[in-house]
Amino acid sequence: MTAGAGSAQAEGPQPPPASVRPRRPESAPPPRLPDYVLRQPHGTYHALNPTTKLVIAFAEAAIAFGVRGWIGPIAVLVVLAITAFAAGVARRMVPFALATIPLVISILLVNTLLYPGAHDVIVRVGPLAPTWSGLTAALQATLRVIAFALSAAILGLTTPTDDLLSDLERRGLGRRGTFVIGSAIRMVPRMGERASEITDSQRARGMDTQGSVLRRVRGVIPLAGPMIYGALTEVEEQTMALEARAFSAPARRTVIRVLPDSATQRIVRWVLFLGAIAAVAAEISGRLHLP
Amino acid sequence: MSIPITLESVVFVYPDGTRALDGVDLRIGSGEQVAIVGQNGSGKSTLVRQLNGLLRPTEGRVLIDGTDAAALHVAQLAAKVGLAFQNPDRQIFAGRVRAEVAFGPRNLGRADADVERAVDEALEAVGLSRTGEANPYDLGYSRRKLLAIASILAMRTPVVILDEPTTGQDARGVARVRAIIERLSEEGRTVVTISHDMRFVAETARRIVVMRAGRIALDGTPAEVFAEPNWPALASTYLEPTLPARVGARLGLVGTPTEAALVEAIGASRPVG
Repeated sequence: MTAGAGSAQAEGPQPPPASVRPRRPESAPPPRLPDYVLRQPHGTYHALNPTTKLVIAFAEAAIAFGVRGWIGPIAVLVVLAITAFAAGVARRMVPFALATIPLVISILLVNTLLYPGAHDVIVRVGPLAPTWSGLTAALQATLRVIAFALSAAILGLTTPTDDLLSDLERRGLGRRGTFVIGSAIRMVPRMGERASEITDSQRARGMDTQGSVLRRVRGVIPLAGPMIYGALTEVEEQTMALEARAFSAPARRTVIRVLPDSATQRIVRWVLFLGAIAAVAAEISGRLHLP
Repeated sequence: MSIPITLESVVFVYPDGTRALDGVDLRIGSGEQVAIVGQNGSGKSTLVRQLNGLLRPTEGRVLIDGTDAAALHVAQLAAKVGLAFQNPDRQIFAGRVRAEVAFGPRNLGRADADVERAVDEALEAVGLSRTGEANPYDLGYSRRKLLAIASILAMRTPVVILDEPTTGQDARGVARVRAIIERLSEEGRTVVTISHDMRFVAETARRIVVMRAGRIALDGTPAEVFAEPNWPALASTYLEPTLPARVGARLGLVGTPTEAALVEAIGASRPVG
């Protein structure tokens, strides 16, 4: 070690002057961006800006639920069907439609049998007296539930969660809000994986999940306990991990992946957003007369 | 108490097309003590899930004590093959440690007195006798891990599979796990351990099976598997030979996978007097 080097160390490390800082050689290729930044969506609907697709889903759900009668939900379902085929996700939407079955069954039972003030009985079976009014309300509610589920499904199947959150954050949604939405969306597949692993571990200890209804009901507790505990600890650990990585820092975050947008999409978003609100407002105020 | 396990040309393909097992032929004899090692995704966990029916082979067959596992439900296989999962928090649900340990034997329909005795023995084996009335969630991770192992020991299965039993354990916990395995082995039970801890594997297992891309890359005693000619095969699945094995090789000694073996080999190689 030379004396000069020793004295430089004694003074502590100094940044080199700008003229001698290492620079990328002229011949070196530019640094390659990671795949998640470069990936491009396939297809026209997939390529829409994530916020546009979110507004479309919002408008569909608002009209399906906010406009009474048959027209609202049926119109939305027709639009959803066309969109699903155009986007090439029709087949993948089937599980989402099937997932509504338990809710649909409960809607049908409760409304058909217990619809308040209905007297147009279809048939009496002992103490049960299903009514036409209840059945009509149940079918309309069913269409609304399916429309809502499918509008969310199309959004989910055509839009990577990261893209949606990144775009929302770029538009000013706070990072806490972004985190809450992102966590909720990502939780669904994670919960599925966790449920599968918990089921395996309890089956490995002899729990019979394929026996009678009573056996299955008894099996809920060994599954629910680790699920709830795991979800709670995960939230706690995730919160600490986020804080440890400057989640609360006041600086505006760097946006790495900028998603395409256009003036046309901006207009479409506003038209859909305001149109959906206007339709619901007209319905509530009684100015919308649809069958 | 012990039973043999045989895998015949077992292939397993996940629904997403991943070929996790690619023609595995393996026979684990009664009372053997085997460690399965390999990089993440090499097929270790998929392989052991074939043994208790949680996964069924896409091709080939698994024989447990000579019976095709395909003919048995998971609940039936659970009486023969106990599997302690890697993450204890994926199984613990009871409000008391004893209740958690008793869950398995009760599912197997054991008599109350047998269950109580099995719970006592299992808790003693993992060093949790004094925490029987505690809430499992009040225990630290390493003790929850031991609790998960106890809940399998209490089932008194002829085959015990431990998936990463030393994860999160300090030296005392690792020694405890080693003692559990040795005790099971003394009882003549077949013990299969999955681990990334090569030192633990070398010191505990009598046979090591190295998995790579769904196939068996190496199969032998610790001295054979960690011998210098096999280092490239180990490296190909991102495993390293133990430090005593490397030191022994530098000294020109063979069969030194553990510190004890190395010391013995050095002593034997020194000229007497």
